Amino acid sequence: MSNLRVSLAVVITMFAACGAPSTAIAPSHGAAVEGAGLNIRSITTVAAALNEPLALSGIVASPLTLVRSDSGEQRMRQVLTGAGGDEILRIESSLDGSLRLVARSGVPLEGGEVTQSSAIARALRQLMRLGLEIPSGGPSVSTAAGRVIVAWTRQVRGVSVPDDGTRVVLNAAGALVGLSIEESPLAAPPAHIAQSDGALRAASLLLPSSTTITEGPTLSWTKPTDVNGEVTSERVPRRLAWCMRGTLHDGTAVEVQLDAGTLALLGWDSAP
Amino acid sequence: MVGAVLLAAAITLAPQPDGAAVFANRTAFAEECTGTANTQPDRLARQARTTFAALGWEVGGAVGPTFTRRSLLASAGVAAFYVHSHGDLYWDPKSDSRAGGFRADAGLCLGAPIVVPSEIAAMRRGVPAASLVYISTCHNGERASRLPAAFGIPQRKVFGPSGPESFYVSYAGIAWQGAAIRFERAFWRGLIEGATAGAAFDRALLVTYDPEHLTPEWWGGYHHLPHAPSSGLPDFGGQRYV
Repeated sequence: MSNLRVSLAVVITMFAACGAPSTAIAPSHGAAVEGAGLNIRSITTVAAALNEPLALSGIVASPLTLVRSDSGEQRMRQVLTGAGGDEILRIESSLDGSLRLVARSGVPLEGGEVTQSSAIARALRQLMRLGLEIPSGGPSVSTAAGRVIVAWTRQVRGVSVPDDGTRVVLNAAGALVGLSIEESPLAAPPAHIAQSDGALRAASLLLPSSTTITEGPTLSWTKPTDVNGEVTSERVPRRLAWCMRGTLHDGTAVEVQLDAGTLALLGWDSAP
Repeated sequence: MVGAVLLAAAITLAPQPDGAAVFANRTAFAEECTGTANTQPDRLARQARTTFAALGWEVGGAVGPTFTRRSLLASAGVAAFYVHSHGDLYWDPKSDSRAGGFRADAGLCLGAPIVVPSEIAAMRRGVPAASLVYISTCHNGERASRLPAAFGIPQRKVFGPSGPESFYVSYAGIAWQGAAIRFERAFWRGLIEGATAGAAFDRALLVTYDPEHLTPEWWGGYHHLPHAPSSGLPDFGGQRYV
């Protein structure tokens, strides 16, 4: 029933967007896209908050589309394109209206280097500007290819959820490139959590005898994989796991993730 | 006779200079070598192959033991290239330096042959710069790696439509496969949706992989739109992002 309701809402909002004239959009066009239970912030509102030059002629909002995120969440995507068909901005919202992704296009590469504290301050300012929740805890700040990544890893019951959380990407001058928020579903933790030394013994049995365990065990919320190491489904809830890292005899770094209750193998990663 | 047949087969399998090649090391990450089943190299190769084909290239290459040093060098002259394997700043005797490179599969857990940049450069002599090169390994995104130059791509980032029509991606430091799968999937998705290579890279940075697990790097032209020239630009439904 709820699926049907969502589908209807999508159809209605898509018709609404398709019916809009392809002319310049003013920021006051509408604060939200509404229809049959969906209440999603409109892309023009977000664009205005980001000071995008909406007064330029030829800017068009593309029809809403239903997409699925990497964590399997259903989302509504809105895209703004310029006169030449070039994408200017895309946003994605969860079906409850929460903003999940903002991606600006063509943000210039800049010289210079923002300090760590300045990057965090700018990231917080962007989150506040868009009315998004400020994540708890201290973020990590890293750089990749001239972009600065400020990332808050999601924590649940004091245990980290790898690949989940809030991230803000800036250029080297501190301008927003984009931000994303990911929240995977979690399974209930096991009633009894195995001791860490038991996890270490189980990992030692699993890995080649020449492996040296270098880190862990530490608890983490992990995505279960099948026997071939493939993620079974993006929407399968993450489970609490003991994680251990080690090095194979050729120097390859490996990580094994064991169910925190049963110590069965849940997942695996390696670094070539 | 058998040798002649094999040679003919090798020539047939080698991609055209305006084609694409995808290679992945499966053996070094397989259960017999690591203790745990791992299909991530196959997934990574599949993602690259699908994208290259969608962008109009005819795709060759090899996944598993047939990815040898020889089969790779026979394909080194292509316009679009992807490899997933062990990588490091291996010693390159030709340049007398630690110049980067990666291991072939060759069916070996340990000690598989290494392909160094000077060998690729030699195979590409007289060939124009590659359009798209993705070296999915550790360390070849570092400035010391000569792999970009081997494919004719200078180590600089050019923003603007007049930039080079080439794009090189790899990773600095250690790159975990789990994070690489997420990043690469987003990058390829961006290209298929009509993004320029730089925009697709920016989009992939927004995927919430652990930044401690992956440090992607690129060189070339931000606004380059990789595609097979023979097929023209793919139809992106009139939409494109820069």
